[in-house]
Amino acid sequence: MNSQTVMQSPGTKKFPHSQFQGESSPLLHLRHVTCAYHSQHPAVRDISLSVNQGEILCLLGPSGCGKTTTLRAIAGFEKVMIGEIYINGRLVSSPTVHWPPDKRRVGMVFQDYALFPHLCVADNIGFGLNQWEDSQRKSQIHKMIELVGLADLERRYPHELSGGQQQRVALARALAPNPVMLLMDEPFSNLDPDMTIKMRKELYHLLRQTKTTSILVTHDHDEAFAMADQVAVLHEGNLVQCDTPETIYHVPSCPFVAEFVGQADFIPGNIQNGKVETELGAFTNQGGYEGGANVLVMVRPDDLQITKVGAGNARIESRQFRGSENLYAIRLASGRLVHCSASSTEIYDVDAPVGLTIIATHTVLFEHQS
Amino acid sequence: MTVLARQAVLSPLAIFSFGISGLIVLPLLYVVYSAMKADFAIWQRLWSTRIPELFLNTVSLAFGVGIATLTLGVSLAWFITRYEFWGRGFWEWAFVLPLAIPSYVLAYVYTFLLDTGGPLEQAWQVVMGPEAPFFSPYSFIGALMVMTLNTFPYVYLLAKTALQNFNVTFEEAAQATGASQWATIFRVFLPLIRPALVAGLFLVTLYVVSDFGAVSLLRFQTFTYAVYQQITGRYDYAAASILSLLLVSFALIFLLGERWFRRQSRYYQMTGKVRPPTLMPCSVSRSALMTGYCVVVFGMAFALPTYWLVQWTSEAWAENEIGTEFLTYIWNSMVLSGGAATLALVLGTPLAYLACRHPTRLNTLCIQGAYTGYVLPGPVAALALLILFSSIPFLYGTALVLVLAYLIHFLPAGLQSMESAIQQVNPNLEEAAKSLGARSYQAFQRVTLPLVRGGFLVAWILMFLQCMKELPATLLLRPVGFDTLAVRIWLEASEELYQLAAPPALLIVLMTIPVVMLLTRKNWQVG
Repeated sequence: MNSQTVMQSPGTKKFPHSQFQGESSPLLHLRHVTCAYHSQHPAVRDISLSVNQGEILCLLGPSGCGKTTTLRAIAGFEKVMIGEIYINGRLVSSPTVHWPPDKRRVGMVFQDYALFPHLCVADNIGFGLNQWEDSQRKSQIHKMIELVGLADLERRYPHELSGGQQQRVALARALAPNPVMLLMDEPFSNLDPDMTIKMRKELYHLLRQTKTTSILVTHDHDEAFAMADQVAVLHEGNLVQCDTPETIYHVPSCPFVAEFVGQADFIPGNIQNGKVETELGAFTNQGGYEGGANVLVMVRPDDLQITKVGAGNARIESRQFRGSENLYAIRLASGRLVHCSASSTEIYDVDAPVGLTIIATHTVLFEHQS
Repeated sequence: MTVLARQAVLSPLAIFSFGISGLIVLPLLYVVYSAMKADFAIWQRLWSTRIPELFLNTVSLAFGVGIATLTLGVSLAWFITRYEFWGRGFWEWAFVLPLAIPSYVLAYVYTFLLDTGGPLEQAWQVVMGPEAPFFSPYSFIGALMVMTLNTFPYVYLLAKTALQNFNVTFEEAAQATGASQWATIFRVFLPLIRPALVAGLFLVTLYVVSDFGAVSLLRFQTFTYAVYQQITGRYDYAAASILSLLLVSFALIFLLGERWFRRQSRYYQMTGKVRPPTLMPCSVSRSALMTGYCVVVFGMAFALPTYWLVQWTSEAWAENEIGTEFLTYIWNSMVLSGGAATLALVLGTPLAYLACRHPTRLNTLCIQGAYTGYVLPGPVAALALLILFSSIPFLYGTALVLVLAYLIHFLPAGLQSMESAIQQVNPNLEEAAKSLGARSYQAFQRVTLPLVRGGFLVAWILMFLQCMKELPATLLLRPVGFDTLAVRIWLEASEELYQLAAPPALLIVLMTIPVVMLLTRKNWQVG
């Protein structure tokens, strides 16, 4: 029913390609990368993106979207069928070139951490340092243990550690050989929710402090928003948008992105007199559509406000209490459902008739194909 | 999410393992080929003379042993997993001990025990009157009894595992919907453990049709014994090939059946938390009944035979019948078995590794090829190598041919253990090693190998012991004057020299006991 019409808010224009064409060459650069386990069904299709030194990129998407495949292609565990991958300006993957993982100097934190069960914490961390001189190796292991806060646990074995400690070991092990960048595959998925928030903060500070270029795979948009400089949203093997977290949220490139990164409703509208007329009222025509065109307006819960209670042609369908806010589902006269957030203390009865006011600062429009 | 990297081109390792696999499959193909090209007259002659009898004997023995082991194994497992009776903890592990006695050792002890005037007949006639008829060991009943006592632990172990892993919540769920206790047993319990039982049944029948040692000593005509006789008595390789082909087909059916049902039983494995059954206390009389049952079965399958082996050995010792040649036999057995097991481990590693990590069609085919040893009973493997090597005089009749026979025959058992060891290593670990700069072989050496060491050691011990116990191929292929422990047992036992057969038999049993106990703690697959 819809296709993408990328909306750019002024000043935040950022195409994935715009960076490497500029002055400084990116640390990682993917050009039209396609990977496939079966040639008929590519796992990822035509992915292009680049990451600069010190940046954190999140690959975001639902399971099966190809984000892990992309990560594994960067690490060298998957070969590319079409396209090229450059690390530090050097071609490491193409249909004819394939550097093995051990030559890429890329650190990786696995989803299940993959700690060597037969080695203690120190030996796990020192695994990638066996070419180093003994004293250097020792001091690097020590440095890493300090960095991730695992002092006194050097002689423990992985099974004797908690989930959070295991993750720290995995991180220290990946960082120890001074990799050019760090890849992380759903690093928090094996932790319980309390721990996740804590480790997320820790990891964020550690990556910033060490200025580590990182790529993080996740299906959780909160995580992506909290960590990333850039978020690349993947959907069914395609890169649908690569932008800053703010742009992704406020100016999604397509309804899929809009819905994936937060609650979004889509209201049909029609361009009349330079305005988008909908049943909720008029929105500004930010897409530059011609008069008479049919469009969809993206409405986030915080774009609407309940103004009249007890009167109006909309009706409260349900209320979901979320602690810091109340999320109301509201049935419009047309039968369409929209969501509206209200403060934590604003409690209205279910079934009450209400009126809605638009308080959106910008409008996101998509083409409407019926 | 773990995705195995694709193998783009044929690596040297893949070619190597293809070669090994070919080497192992070749003898089987050659037997099939010899059978096919044999004169049609030989087929006709066999068909009208030997085959009906052999077929009837083999099938009825396999069927009879299957029923008997199922009865024994399931009843024991049921008592042991559900009731708290005297010595339950002891019996739980004691019933794996019969696996430590090779079939020909059990058979030879029973030829003595059941013989006219033997201890069991005397005991029987004390109870039933002086002229009460008693069965001979050299009969269907004799073979049935020996094979049952030898193989019921397989069914027992499978049934015990199934019962212990059985999630009692299923039973409770059935009862909560209003099913009676009997309805629960028939509609929930039995259907859920049936695959494990059928798998055990096929395993036992495969074992019975492949057995040579017991049936040869009990002079019960089955296919394996007939193949041996064709080779040694008549030097008729064509006829032997035909009988072998039929035997292999039989074995294949049972093997595939076992595999199929085992896979079924995996579907029934419960995921998540399983609440095991609790033990029911029982009255003194019930307890006595169950203990009595256990004592009788254990006595017949293990205690009595072992007692006689010890008795005869001490007699032989007292009469100075154990000479230095006994040490030679031990040395021969050790060197041969150790060499074969080591070779199998080295050659099997690439096969197992590729099949686990790069399951391409070719690699899977290679490991399937290596598993053909399962359907090659000893006499058939020996026949194949005899035919193949009779044209290579400088190898014919050397220990090397024997090592090759062991390799073909026992690599599958080792491979199974090696494969599961590799499978237990998370492939992410190797990838982690590579992401930290290790080359493929370094990743294998520094991460995989230390982690699979235990499993590989088990594989080696398993193959070593099976080689020690191997009888038919050793009898047929050994160099002149080169005797092993197993061969000595069989030769002395054939002459009814019980005392001389006992020391090597006792030695093998004593060596096998710790291994059986070690293996059954993790895995019931012992042979």
